[in-house]
Amino acid sequence: MEEDIVDYALKYAESKQVEYAEVRAQSQVQDRLVLRNGILEAYVSAVDSGFCVRILANGGIGFASTNKWAREEAKDIVDLAFKYAKAAGRKDKIVFAKEKGVETKWTVDQKRKAENVSPEEKITEFVEVNKSLASCGVKIAATIFQCSIDLISKYFVSSEGSRISSFVPKIGAFLFLTVAEQGKTEQAGEQFGYSGGWEAFKEWNITDKMIHDAKILKDVITKGKTVKSGNMDLICGSEVTGIAAHESCGHPMEADRILGREMSQAGRSFIYKGGPYWLGTRIGSDAFTIVDDPSLEHSYGYYAYDDEGLKARRRFLYKNGVLNEFLHNRESAAKLGTKSNASSRSINYDREAIVRMANTFVLPGDMTEEELIEDVKSGVYMKSFTEWNIDDKRFNQRYVGREAYLIEDGELKHPVARPVIETTTLKFWSAVDAVSKKVNFDAATCGKGDPAQGVPVYTGGPCIRLREVYVK
Amino acid sequence: MSDVLNKTEEIVRKAKSLGADEVLARTTFGRYRQVRFSGNQVDITVAWNDYVTDVALAWKKRLVATQIHDFHDVDAGIKKLLELAKVSKENPLFGGFAKGKFKYVASKADEKLEDLENPTDYVFEAVEAARKEAGAEIDSGGILFTKFEDVYLASSEGPVGVDKRSAVELSIRAFAQREASGHGVECSSALKDFKPERAGAKAGEIAKMAKNPKAGDEGVYDVIFDPLIFGSSLAVWGSMVGAFNVLIQMSVFVDKIGQKVAPEIVTMRDNPGAYSLSSRVFDDEGVPARENVFIDHGVLKSYLHNTSTAKMFKTETTGNAGLIAPNAWNIELDAGDMGKDELFEDVKKGLYLTNTWYTRFQNYTKGDFSTIPRDGIFLIEKGKIKQSLKDLRVSDNALSMLGKIVGISKERQHVHWWGKAEPPSLSPYVLIKDVHLTKSK
Repeated sequence: MEEDIVDYALKYAESKQVEYAEVRAQSQVQDRLVLRNGILEAYVSAVDSGFCVRILANGGIGFASTNKWAREEAKDIVDLAFKYAKAAGRKDKIVFAKEKGVETKWTVDQKRKAENVSPEEKITEFVEVNKSLASCGVKIAATIFQCSIDLISKYFVSSEGSRISSFVPKIGAFLFLTVAEQGKTEQAGEQFGYSGGWEAFKEWNITDKMIHDAKILKDVITKGKTVKSGNMDLICGSEVTGIAAHESCGHPMEADRILGREMSQAGRSFIYKGGPYWLGTRIGSDAFTIVDDPSLEHSYGYYAYDDEGLKARRRFLYKNGVLNEFLHNRESAAKLGTKSNASSRSINYDREAIVRMANTFVLPGDMTEEELIEDVKSGVYMKSFTEWNIDDKRFNQRYVGREAYLIEDGELKHPVARPVIETTTLKFWSAVDAVSKKVNFDAATCGKGDPAQGVPVYTGGPCIRLREVYVK
Repeated sequence: MSDVLNKTEEIVRKAKSLGADEVLARTTFGRYRQVRFSGNQVDITVAWNDYVTDVALAWKKRLVATQIHDFHDVDAGIKKLLELAKVSKENPLFGGFAKGKFKYVASKADEKLEDLENPTDYVFEAVEAARKEAGAEIDSGGILFTKFEDVYLASSEGPVGVDKRSAVELSIRAFAQREASGHGVECSSALKDFKPERAGAKAGEIAKMAKNPKAGDEGVYDVIFDPLIFGSSLAVWGSMVGAFNVLIQMSVFVDKIGQKVAPEIVTMRDNPGAYSLSSRVFDDEGVPARENVFIDHGVLKSYLHNTSTAKMFKTETTGNAGLIAPNAWNIELDAGDMGKDELFEDVKKGLYLTNTWYTRFQNYTKGDFSTIPRDGIFLIEKGKIKQSLKDLRVSDNALSMLGKIVGISKERQHVHWWGKAEPPSLSPYVLIKDVHLTKSK
C-alpha cells in the first residue's frame, strides 16, 4: 500500500469544488483452501491491493476505484468520481452528518500469527477433521470444507482531516456435510469466524462440532418424528435466536433500507415514516433486548472505526421490545436528522461503504436453559436451523429446525424432524417470555449491496422461550 | 494490447521453467460502471478499473492459484506459488488442464460499453417509462451496470486466446404503493439491443396491477412464473448441473444422468451466446465456449464440466471451466409453443408470480426449499388476473417442480438481477402445476 499516492489523491480531490472527499486504501493478503472429502482441491494465495475515492459534490456522490498504484491513475479516478458526483443532478441534495476528523491507528492482535502458520499445517488441520468425521460411526456421503485467511490493512483519509490506519486479520471457515443413512440424506453447514490469529482454529472446536452435527443428522433420519402442527411453546437455541435477531431486527433497522436506498435489491423495511412502526413503537415483549455491537473483541464483525472513520460503539436496536435506534452511516443520519453510529462498512477498496450490521445478538437474561425447558408443558426445542428466509420488508420469516427435540412436561424427548416456524416479526418477538443467561455466537456472512458485499458478522444470543406460537 | 498477451504467456513460460507441470494464466483488464438510484434520483455513480492476472498451476497433481494485481515483481509471485504447490497436498483426482490448440470465433463485444458518456440518461429513460405506466407518484430504484473486459488467456497445454466481453444491464423496481411494486430488467451484451424503457414499463405495469394487495391464502396452486422469477429457478437448476456441485451433493441431479427429470417439453441448455451478459469465446482453460444441452426433452443428458471433472465422469469437457471448478454461463429453456396469453387462459384458478428472492434449501440433494415471491403476486381466475396478493412463500421441491412444468411460452426474455437470477438466463413464461405456497401464522 502506497500511502503517498493515497495522500496525493486526497489533495488532488480537495483542489476541486467538493463538499467532501475521502480516499480509502485496502491491502488484503488472502489465503483460500478448498477440500472435498478431505482432499485438497486447491490452495489459492493472493494479495489484492487498491484504493477508492468517494466525492460529494453538488449534492451528488461519485465513487471510483483502481488497483493500479500510480499518481496518474489516482488523478484519473478522482476526475471520474468528481465528474460522476456533479452529473448526479439531484433535486434533493445529499449531505453527510457532521463529524470531526480523527487521527489514529488500530490493530487486532494475533496470539499465533496466521502468516507464520505453514500451508501444510493449515491443510493438515482440515484433513484431520475429515478423518475424524469418517470414523465417527456415521455414514458421510460427502464433505466440502473452505477456509479463508485475510490479513487486511486499511488507510483512510478524508477532507475533514481523518487519517486512520488499521490492521485486522480475519479467519473464516465453512464446512458442509451430507449424511446418508437408510437410503436417506440430511445435510448441515457450519460457519466459523474470528478476528485474530490462527489460535481461532483450536478455539472453534471444529471436529467436535462437525461430529455432533453428523450424529444429529443420523438421529434425524433414524429417530426423528414430525411434529403435530399447532400452537405450542418453542424454545430457540442461540443459533436460532441469533438468525432471528439478525434477520428481523438488524436488517429492518438499517436506515438506508428504511429510506429506500436498497429498494431494488435487499429491499425496504416494515419500518417507515408515517407507517405503524417507528422509533418508540413496541415490536415485541419487554423480555428481550437486541443490540448490534462491533466492539466485541475478536468477534468476526469486529472493528474499532467504521469505513467512514467513526469510532464504533454498541447500538441498542430493540430495547425491551421497543424500536430504539437505527443503524446509520453519515448519509442516512443526515437524512433523518441525527448522527451516524458508525455502521458504515465496505468489504474492499472497490466497494462503497454502506450501512451494515456487525455482531447482532439478544442480551442475556437471568434463567438457565433448564429452567426455560422445565416450564414447557408441550413444545419444541429448536437448537439449530437449516432452511431460513425472510421477505424483503423483513416481516415474514421462516426457520426450519436441524437439531430439534420434542418437549413434554418439561423434559426433552425424541428428535423432531424439520419443525418449521413461519411467522411475522411482530408475532415472533411478542411471544418471547423468557431469556437464558448464556450467550453463544455464530459466524455468518451478511449479504447486501450491489455489487454484493458479504461482510463478516456474528449472530447470537441466549436461548429464548416463545409462548404459544404455531409450529408445523 | 498484444503486449498484454505476451506478458500473460511469459507468466506461463516462467512457471514452466521453474518446474510447474501445467500452467494457466488469464489477464483481465476490466472497466465496470454502475449508477445506483432510488426515489427516482441517482444515489451514486461508480467506476471500477481492475487489472488482474489469475494464475493456476499444477505440480504433481497439486493445484494452486493466485491473483496478481501488482505487476512489479511477477517472477517472485510465481516462485512463491510454485513453492506453495510443493508443500501442498496431492489431489489424485486432478485431471489436468485442457490440451490442444483451438480456433475461436471473433468476439462481438460492443466497444461503446468501454465508457459511456452519460450513463444516467438510461436510468431516467427507465424511470420515465415506469411513470408513464403507473403515474407520476411512482417511487423507483435500481441500477444501471456496464462491463467491458479485455481478456488474454495462455495455457502451457496449448490454448492461447484473446477475448473482449461486454455487458449492459438495467434493473428497476417501482413502487406504486408501499406494498405494490413491480420489477423489470433489461440485459444485453450490446447497446444496440438495450432498451431500458422496456424494463421501466414492465416495472410500472406490474406495480400498477399490484395495488391494494390482500393477504394470500396458503395452498396448492397452478402457477405462472414470469421470465424474471423463472430465471431464478433456471439459475438453481443450472448451478446444480455443474459437476462440482454434483460431486459435493449440492444438487438434485446426483446419479440421475439418463433419467427423466422433467416432461418432454423441457429442453435446457447452457449457452454463453453473443447476446448474453456472460458471452465469451472460451472458458478459463481456453476451451471454446459452446452450447450444451443438459436436459433434452426431459431427460438429464449431461453435467457441465471442466477437464478434471470430465475425467472423473469419464466424459469430455463441456467448456465450462472456471479456474478451479466448472460453472454454468447462461441457461436457456427452449421456447414452447404457447403464447403468454394462452398460458393464462389455461389457468382456472392459480397464481402469477413475477419475482422472488431469498431462496434457501433444507437439503440440496433432496431439493426441499423455500423462496419468497416479491413484487407482483396475482390471483388468476378463469385465465384472468383477479386480485393482487401479498405475503406468500413458495415452499416446495426443486426436482418435483421441474417435473410439473406443463406449459412454456414462445416469448422469452434475457434476465439477470443481483445474484437472485444468477447466472443469467433466457427465460420464458412457464406454467407449473400444483405448487405449494405457505404463509406466516
